[in-house]
Amino acid sequence: MEWHGHEEVAASKEQLWTFINDPANVAQCIPDVVESTVRDAHSFEAVVKVGVGPVKGKFKLKISLDPQPGGDRMNMKISGGGFGSAVDLVAGADIKDNGNATTSLDWSGSATMRGPIASVGGRVIDAQAQRVISTTFANVKARCASSSA
Amino acid sequence: MSTTEATPDTRHAMGLPMKRKEDARFIAGKGRYIDDIVLPNMHYLAIVHSTYPHARIVSIDKSAALAVPGVKAVITAEDLAGAGLAWIPTFHGYDKQMVLAVGKVLYQYQEVAAVIATSREAAADGAELVEIEYEPLDPVVSPFDAKTDKVLVREDRENKTNHIYHWEVGDRAATDAALAASPVTIDERVYFQRCHPAPLEPCGSVADMNAATGTLTLYMTSQAPHAHRTVVSLVTGIPEDKIHVISPDIGGGFGNKVPVYAGYVCSAVASIVLGVPVKWIETRTENLTTTGFARDYHMDVRIGADKDGKVTALKVTTTADHGAFDAAADPTKYPAGMFGICTGSYDFPIAFTELDAYFTNKAPGGVAYRCSFRVTEASYAIERGMDMLARKLGMDPAELRLKNFIKKEQFPYPSPLGFVYDSGDYHATLHKALDKIGYAALRKEQAEKRARGELMGIGISTFTEVVGAGPSKHFDIMGIKMFDSAEIRIHPTGSGIIRTGTKSQGQGHETTWAQIVAEELGLDPQNLLVEEGDTDTAPYGLGTYASRSTPVAGAALAMAARRVREKARKIAAHVLEAPESDVEWVDYAFRVKGIPSKSVTMKEIAFAAYTNHGPNEPGLEATYYYDPPNLTFPYGAYIAVVDVDKETGHTQVRRFLAIDDCGTVINPMIVEGQIHGGLTEGFAIAFMQEIAYDDAGNNLQPNFTEYLIPTSLEAPSWETDSTCTPSPHHPIGAKGVGESPNVGSPAAFVNAVMDALAPLGITSLDMPLTRDKVWRAIQEAKRA
Repeated sequence: MEWHGHEEVAASKEQLWTFINDPANVAQCIPDVVESTVRDAHSFEAVVKVGVGPVKGKFKLKISLDPQPGGDRMNMKISGGGFGSAVDLVAGADIKDNGNATTSLDWSGSATMRGPIASVGGRVIDAQAQRVISTTFANVKARCASSSA
Repeated sequence: MSTTEATPDTRHAMGLPMKRKEDARFIAGKGRYIDDIVLPNMHYLAIVHSTYPHARIVSIDKSAALAVPGVKAVITAEDLAGAGLAWIPTFHGYDKQMVLAVGKVLYQYQEVAAVIATSREAAADGAELVEIEYEPLDPVVSPFDAKTDKVLVREDRENKTNHIYHWEVGDRAATDAALAASPVTIDERVYFQRCHPAPLEPCGSVADMNAATGTLTLYMTSQAPHAHRTVVSLVTGIPEDKIHVISPDIGGGFGNKVPVYAGYVCSAVASIVLGVPVKWIETRTENLTTTGFARDYHMDVRIGADKDGKVTALKVTTTADHGAFDAAADPTKYPAGMFGICTGSYDFPIAFTELDAYFTNKAPGGVAYRCSFRVTEASYAIERGMDMLARKLGMDPAELRLKNFIKKEQFPYPSPLGFVYDSGDYHATLHKALDKIGYAALRKEQAEKRARGELMGIGISTFTEVVGAGPSKHFDIMGIKMFDSAEIRIHPTGSGIIRTGTKSQGQGHETTWAQIVAEELGLDPQNLLVEEGDTDTAPYGLGTYASRSTPVAGAALAMAARRVREKARKIAAHVLEAPESDVEWVDYAFRVKGIPSKSVTMKEIAFAAYTNHGPNEPGLEATYYYDPPNLTFPYGAYIAVVDVDKETGHTQVRRFLAIDDCGTVINPMIVEGQIHGGLTEGFAIAFMQEIAYDDAGNNLQPNFTEYLIPTSLEAPSWETDSTCTPSPHHPIGAKGVGESPNVGSPAAFVNAVMDALAPLGITSLDMPLTRDKVWRAIQEAKRA
């Protein structure tokens, strides 16, 4: 499963870069987070509510941020699971200064699901996973813009 | 051997549609299944499963689980290794299997740890908290990928390959030559998908180690209690007399309850270590994802024929997906079971079949699902192949079959792949089916519908099964010969108790066994108690699967009853004051030759056996161990009529007629019930069921929302009838029937759908024929 999307963030490239390099900020952007714990400068753990069809429960996730040299791209790796299911998700975002105090954020992601959650049906999982990722980046856009205002 | 109808009115008990004696307790909710067993201070076991299909186990952290109130222990493979139980042999003995994952997991949902607690809930809570860190590995999800050996599933084996074995039978060179010389040939791949028996009651056990007596009592959902006792003794070292296996009422088995599973072993180990009874009850998901699957054969079928449709040769080449362990429950000498029955009901001059089996990162198995050792796969291959041949020849599929059937005067018929068919009249049975369903009129209707652009199909399957394993010279499970046994004890008042080495899972043994003995002895079947499933009381037998109970244990019963009758004759001679040679058994009573008025019933002799036995040994009982001289070969002619909606892909099975010939019928009502059940399973396989895995190794059908079971709403209304060609070597002429409908029906359904789709140029689709699969095929055909 692979997804991609685009956000226009009302913040400078430097402001956006600073925002997404802070694990505490990124943790706030993931939807349905029950609790999160920052482990170090580039990683945090989060407990997230998950509901896909009849499969519902909490996922314990490890998230690591991997800022690329040059400040133009951020990679992110999410792995973990719960209630007999697991997910391995890789996402990345290219950051581009638009020159008008806004920044483009082109993101993409792919995930591998395992366990009962994988059997619910591709379209349902696809929609749910895409919702999680797109909401995360939409939240990045909103929170970064408000913190930069 | 002539084909005759049963004449039940001339019988004492055989052939009568007696209501099932066991149903009174089942209907009243008084059955006693494994989860009904509750012992004092009983603990509960829950299993932790792998989320990954292939991964190294980096670490297992039990601490959070052990902190749950009520959790008493967490078992891993490391703990089992201390007792020498990390690995156990698979049933046919050529491979071994992990009880709990050792070092790495080999399939998704594999058992990794077991949590034992004072309550079911605490065990489940603890299982959720066992933290396992994995290092994922690439999974092998196809046997064709397995062939490359790029990724090795089983690093523990000496041979560093995913290839398990090659098996072949027949004359390869002569078959290839005959195919090359045949004017007409078909060469098609058919896939019998991985499916699962999915009994209504999942597996379970209650292990109870009595430290004072040193006896391990194992209540378990076992189709083969004695075989399981022997296996437990061999792998644990506990003397067999200190192991007591009790198989209570079982809610369906269909082959799923033949193998040994992790839950059985872990509950026994836990009971031994903790000194308390331990219960393990499987969830539905555990049953579907970890216990024995069925089928998963990719079969290349080649048939040669002359221009008139007379077959010349058959070659079937199979690639088999066995999952992570070679745990197929087949006889030792038959790694591919009875697949050699793939010549079916047809008189092939020459044939050859070969099979290569591979390890993949999927659950192990290869058990029946109401099929005798790969007979369903073989039957599906030949019945689909004959339909494809008919289409290529432009012949009616019924006509092609009638042209190629083994003739009744050819029995006993030695097949080119090594079986000797016992009896049959295939022409009579198919003619009966064609007449009964109105075949000619259906073909006329089909032509009219096709002219209107409607899709109607008629599918035929004229299968031959091979059951009743088996003769000891060929058949064994882990070295134990596949005989079976019966013990009959007649009480003074003429009632009695019958014990066998088999174990009913719904087949109705409590009734049919009583009918066999009642027929042989002239007693009332209502007063003959049947007891199975207790290894401390029942004589040793190999259990109930592969349609073997009536062919083997049923024969043992008849022979034991005849021993009782011979003993009774001696006592009758004493009572009648006549020489034994003058005492004859006529109309279910002993009488003095030439003096019909001087007779005694078996009930009277039973009383005499304990009160007036004269010079004879008192008592009236006998035991018989029956080693069958040959297998039995039930067969049938099935016809399905379907309408396919070309707008939605929905298939409506309008009619389905099953004419079965299982030899002598003991209870026609029970046989009809068996056929209804098997046809419904065959319908499910044809249209609904598959255990599929995605490319990441995920099991996509781990519950009943994905793996579908037909209800009365989906199942067609079945039409059944029979012919009767008794088995000449079976004491009562019975052949067995439990699996015939599952063996024979999938090909009839698929042939019918392919017949419906033929005007669109669609010739082959693999099961299950779901609406979306058929719809897509129709759309592609329209575009072509």
